[in-house]
Amino acid sequence: MFEKDIYQLIRGLRAHKGAERDYINQALAECRREVRTTDLDAKATALLKLVYLEMFGHDMSWASFNVLEVMSSAKFNHKRVGYLAAVQSFRPDTEVLMLAENLLKKDLGGADKATIALVLTTIPHVVSPAMANSLLADLLTRLAHSSPAIRKKTIVTLYRLALVYPETLRPAWPKIKELLLDEDEDPSVTAAIVNVVCELGWRRPQDFLPLAPRLFELLTAGGNNWMAIKIIKLFSTLTPLEPRLVKKLLPPLTSIIKTTPAMSLLYECVNGIIQGGIMEAVEGTMEGDEVARLCVNKLRAMLVVEGDPNLRFVALLAFAKITSSHADIVAQHSDVILECIDDPDISVRTRALDLVVGMINANNLQQIVERLLKQLRSAGKAPATADPSQDRGMPHGIEPLADDDDEDMQTTIRAKETKSAQAPPLPDDYRTSVIERILEMCSRETYAHMNDFEWYIGVLVELVKQCPASTGSGTFGSHNAGVGKEVPSVADAVGNELLNVAVRVKAVRPEAAAAAQSLLLFDQREQMFPAAGSGGQGVLSSAAFIAGEYATLLPSAEAVLTSLVHVSSAQLPPQTLASYLQAIPKVFTTLTSDQQAAWTSTRRTNTTLLIARIIHFLGPLTLHPSLEVQERAVEYLDLMRLASEAASSQPTSEESDGYAEPPLLLTQAIPSLFTGMELNPVAAAALRKVPLPDDLALDSPINSNLQMLLQQAEDDASAFDSGQADEVSRFYNEKPSAVSVPQHQRPAADTLLDPPSSVLASRSSSYQHDAETEPLDRAAAKARQRAERRERYKDDPYYIDPDRDGSGTSTPTALHNILRSANGEELDVDAIPVMELKFDAAPEGERKAGGRAPVAKKKVKRRFEIAGDETLEGGEGDEGAKATANGGGASVAAAVSRAKKSLLEVDSSGLSSLSLSDDAGAASGRNAAASYVDVERRRAEEEEMTRAIKEVERLRLEMQRAQERIQPMGVPEEGTVVRRKKKKVKKGEGLEGDVDEGEGGEVAKRRKKKKRRESEGGETRETGEVVEGGDHEGGEADTPAQTKRKKKKRQVTFEEEA
Amino acid sequence: MINAVLVFNNNGQPRLTKFYTQLDTAVQQRLLSEIFTLVAARPPSSCNFLPLPPLLAPSSRTTSTEHNDAPSLVTYRHYATLYFILISTSTESPLALLDLVQVYVEALDRLFENVCELDLIFNFETLHAVLAEMIVGGVVVETGLEKVVEGVRAQGRVAKRPVNESRAGLSQGIWAGR
Repeated sequence: MFEKDIYQLIRGLRAHKGAERDYINQALAECRREVRTTDLDAKATALLKLVYLEMFGHDMSWASFNVLEVMSSAKFNHKRVGYLAAVQSFRPDTEVLMLAENLLKKDLGGADKATIALVLTTIPHVVSPAMANSLLADLLTRLAHSSPAIRKKTIVTLYRLALVYPETLRPAWPKIKELLLDEDEDPSVTAAIVNVVCELGWRRPQDFLPLAPRLFELLTAGGNNWMAIKIIKLFSTLTPLEPRLVKKLLPPLTSIIKTTPAMSLLYECVNGIIQGGIMEAVEGTMEGDEVARLCVNKLRAMLVVEGDPNLRFVALLAFAKITSSHADIVAQHSDVILECIDDPDISVRTRALDLVVGMINANNLQQIVERLLKQLRSAGKAPATADPSQDRGMPHGIEPLADDDDEDMQTTIRAKETKSAQAPPLPDDYRTSVIERILEMCSRETYAHMNDFEWYIGVLVELVKQCPASTGSGTFGSHNAGVGKEVPSVADAVGNELLNVAVRVKAVRPEAAAAAQSLLLFDQREQMFPAAGSGGQGVLSSAAFIAGEYATLLPSAEAVLTSLVHVSSAQLPPQTLASYLQAIPKVFTTLTSDQQAAWTSTRRTNTTLLIARIIHFLGPLTLHPSLEVQERAVEYLDLMRLASEAASSQPTSEESDGYAEPPLLLTQAIPSLFTGMELNPVAAAALRKVPLPDDLALDSPINSNLQMLLQQAEDDASAFDSGQADEVSRFYNEKPSAVSVPQHQRPAADTLLDPPSSVLASRSSSYQHDAETEPLDRAAAKARQRAERRERYKDDPYYIDPDRDGSGTSTPTALHNILRSANGEELDVDAIPVMELKFDAAPEGERKAGGRAPVAKKKVKRRFEIAGDETLEGGEGDEGAKATANGGGASVAAAVSRAKKSLLEVDSSGLSSLSLSDDAGAASGRNAAASYVDVERRRAEEEEMTRAIKEVERLRLEMQRAQERIQPMGVPEEGTVVRRKKKKVKKGEGLEGDVDEGEGGEVAKRRKKKKRRESEGGETRETGEVVEGGDHEGGEADTPAQTKRKKKKRQVTFEEEA
Repeated sequence: MINAVLVFNNNGQPRLTKFYTQLDTAVQQRLLSEIFTLVAARPPSSCNFLPLPPLLAPSSRTTSTEHNDAPSLVTYRHYATLYFILISTSTESPLALLDLVQVYVEALDRLFENVCELDLIFNFETLHAVLAEMIVGGVVVETGLEKVVEGVRAQGRVAKRPVNESRAGLSQGIWAGR
C-alpha cells in the first residue's frame, strides 16, 4: 500500500490541474484510512496532510481524536504535527479537548524545551475556563524556567489564560511583575511582559500606575522599538490618571521624536502625546507649545512626504483623533489635508474625507465640494466587482489550484515590495460615501455653511449623474430621518436633499423646480442617468413631488407633463410611479385651471387632448401590481374622466357667441384638491408631542352591540335575492359599515381554527336560514329590511338616511356621544375636533406660533431663508418621554452591539472586574483586603486538601498491606494493581496544586468518606479497593479519569516509554 | 493584540492561516476570500492598510468604548507572489506591524536562503514554527530576527523544499534552469 507524504500530496495537487477537487477527495479518503492505522508515522503524515487541506477549507474536525493520539506520541516530530493540528482544527465544541488536558500538563512538565514551547503556543488556541483552572499551576512553575524563550511564552500564555479565567492573574501577576522589575531579566522576556501589560493596560490602567517608574526606565533605555511603542501606548492610557506623568514623559518623548530613525516609533510618540492628552495638559506653557508645534509639524511632514502613502494614512488617523479637541490645529493644516482628498489611494482618501467633513465652513465648502465632484466626474466608473477574476465568490471559492506560474513562485519574496503607479478605479462604495459626505457637509446644521443654494441645486443635479449604478446601502440617513422612509440608495438621499431645499428655502424654489424639471424631462433622461440600471433614478420620486407641488414655478409645465405621462414612465419602480401619479393631476391643474382666460375652442381642444393623454397613461396602470399605484391610478382616472366630460360639454366662447366661462370642475373643483395650506418641514418628534385628547377613548368599543349587528347582517344577507336591484344600487351608493362582514364570510384563517363540524353547522344553519326566510310578503320584507338597515347604519356618518330628520332617533353610543357633545346636535364639518387642535389652554399662544410658522428662521444670507422643522413646544412630560425613549434606544443599541461580538474578537471584558492591586496596595483598600482574604482562604483550603490527600493515601497503603498479608503472593493482578496505585499517587499530587474554592465541599466529603472507611476498617480487600477507586474519581470530578480508564493500558505503556 | 495572520498568493491561494480565536473553517475561508478581494483590488502604489472586510465590519454605527477588543486594523504587505496579512486590534501600532511582517519575511529568508513561495508551500510547518516564535496567542513575543531564527533552528533542521522537486514535477523545463 503506497502512502503519500505531504510533499507527494502537494506535488500531486500541482500535477492535477483542473481536477483538483477529485484529487483532494481521493486524498481525503486516503487520509481517513491512514489516520486510523496503528502506525504513528502514518498517522502523523496523514494528519499533516489534513492540516494542509484544512487550510483550503476542508473540515478535519472529525479527526480530533487522532490529533490527540499524535499529540501524545513520544517523538517530537509527531508531537509537532499533532500540536499544529490541534491549533488549526480544534474548535470550542471539540469534545476531546478534555482528554487533552492531562497530556498538556505532562508535556508542560517535561524536560524538552521544544516540547514545552509547543504546549505553550497551543494552549491559547484551545483553552477553556475549566482547563485554565487546572493548567494554571503547571504554567506558573514554567515562569521560573531557565530558558528565556520558555519564560516569555509562558507569560503570554498566562495572559490568554486570564482572558478566559481572570482569576489566573491573582497568582500570576505578582510573579510577572517581579520578572518585569528584575533588571537582569532577559530583554526579550521584558519585552513580552510589556506587550502583555499593554494589552491589559487599557482595561484597568489604575493597576499599572505603580509600574510607571520601571516602564519609564525601559523607555529611556531604548534599544527595542517595538517595546518602546508599546510602552508609549500604555503611557497614553496612564497619563489621564496621573497628571504628574506628563511632565516626566515630555522630555524623553520629545527627544525620541527628534532623534529616532524609526518612523513607527516617531509616529507612536506623536500619537501617544495626542492620545494621552499630553497636549492639553501642557497647553499654555512654553514647552507645551513647543511639543504641540513639533507634533503637528511632524504629522504635516508625514502628509506631504513623497512616495509613502502609509505615513499619510497614519497621519490622517492621528489628525482625526485631535480634531475634536484641537479643531484649530487641524484647521491650520487644512491645505495639506485637502490635498489628500485627491490622493491616488482610496484608503487615504477615505480618511481625509472623514476629516474634511469636520473642517468645512462657509468659506471652503464650495471649494471642497467642487473638488470632490471633479474627482467623481473624472474617475471612470469601474467598480471593483466588475472584474470577474476578482470576484471570488463565497466559502467554497478557494480550492488549491495547480499553479501554472512556477516561474513566479520561484521569485524570491525578499525582493522589494512591488509597487508601481497606476490610477485606481473608484469603487462604488467609495463613490457612494463621497456623495453621502457631500450631502452631509452641505446640509450640516440645517445648511449653516451654505451660501449659495442655486449652486447647491446644481451640485445635487450633478450628483445624480454620479450615483453608482448598483444601489449600494446608504449610510447617509441621519438628517433625513424625518422623511420617514428608508434610504435604500444614495440617489434617494440626493432626492431628499433636493426636496429639502425646495421646501425649506423659498427663494430657490424656482431653481429647484427647474432642476426637478431637468431631471424629469424624458428627452434628457439619457444624459441625466448615464449609469445603467437604476443608479440615479431614486431621485425621480422626489423630483416628481417637487414638480407637482411647485408646478406653477416650472419653466415648462407642459413638457414636464408630457414626460410624466410618457409610456416609459410606467416602467418605473412602484414608489416612483406613485409619486408620478400624484404629480400628474397637479401639473395638469396648473395648465388648465386659469379662470380668467376665456373658454375658447383652442383651449378646449388643448384641455381635452391633455386629458386624453393622461387617461391613456392612467388606464393600464389601474391593473398595476402595486396597490398604491393602482389605487391612485383608479382615483385620478375617474377624476380625469369627469374632467373630460366637463370639458367637452362646456360650450366654448365660439359656440356661445361671446365670453364663455371655463368649466368649474377644472377651475375650482380639481384645483381645490391640491391647494390649501403650504407643506412645511415637520420635526421628526413633532407627532409624538401632540397630546392625546382627553375624551379619546381607545378602549371603549365603537359600537357596543356588535353582536347584534352581525346577526342583522346575516339576516340582511338572506334578503339579498329579494331586492336585487336595490342591493346593487346600495352597493354603489353606500359605504358598507365596517362591521357588515357577515359571519359566514369570516376570513379563511378563522375557519381553519374552528373544528370542521361547527363550520358545517354554521353554514348549514345559514342556508337553512335562507330557506326559511323566503319572503312571503315582499313589501313587508322591504320595510323590515329598511328598518334593519337604518338600525345598522345609525352610527355610520357616511350613511345618508332618507328617513332621518337630524334630531337623531338612534340610540346613543360612546362615539356618538363624543361627537354630539363636541359638535352639538348638528354635524358641522368645520367643528370636527380634528380641526380644533385644542390641546391645552396655557401654552396655546406659543403653540400657535410654533404650529403655524417655522420655529426658528435662520438668516444665512440676505436672500436665503431656511425654514426649520416645525414642531410643538411640548411640556416637560413630553421631553422626559422623549429622553427615556432615546435613552432606551441607546441602551438597546448598546446591548445589541455588545451581544454582537466581532468575528475575531477576543473578549477581555472579564478582566475589567479583576483588580491586580492586591499586593501593590495602591487601589481601594477594601477590594485589596477582600482579595487578600480570598487568597488566604484558598491557601488554607489547599493545605487542607493536601492533608486530606495524604491521609487518604496513607490509609490506602495500610489497606494494601493488609491485603498483601491475607492474599498469597504471586497473583497476576497484583502487578497491575501496583502500577495503578502508582499512577493514582501521581494524579493525587497533581491535584494538590490546582485546588479552588469550588472544591472546598469536595474536601469535606472526602474527609467524611475517609472517616467512614476508618470505622469499617476490617472490610474485605476487594471492597476496599473499589471504594478507593471511587473516592479518587470523586476527587477528580472535572478531570476525565473515567474515560481514560478504558485506555489505561495504552497510557501505561506511554508512561513507561517516557 | 493580533487576531489573525494570513498568507496567500496572488491568486488567493492560502499558504498560511492562523487565527488566534477558534473560528469555523467555513468562516475562515470566507474571511480569507473577502480580504483577498479587497487586497487584490488595490493598486501597488496604495498604502498598506485595508478597510475592514464586510465580515469584520462593525455591525452598528455606534463606536463603543470597548473598541479595543474588536479587530480594527487590517495590515498587509505584498512580496513578489505573496500577500502577508495581519488583522489586529487598535492596541497595535500600524507602522510597527509592517515592520513585524518584514521581520517575519526576513526570518523565513534566513531559514530558507532566498525564500520563495515554493519553499513555503512545501514547508508550511516551518512557516507555522517561525510564526510561533514571534506571536503566541496573538501577542508578539519576539521581534528580534536573530532570536526568531535561533528559536526555529533549535527545534530541528529546517528543510529546503524537497531537493528532487525540480526534477519530479511536471514542469521540468521551467525548473531546469534553477
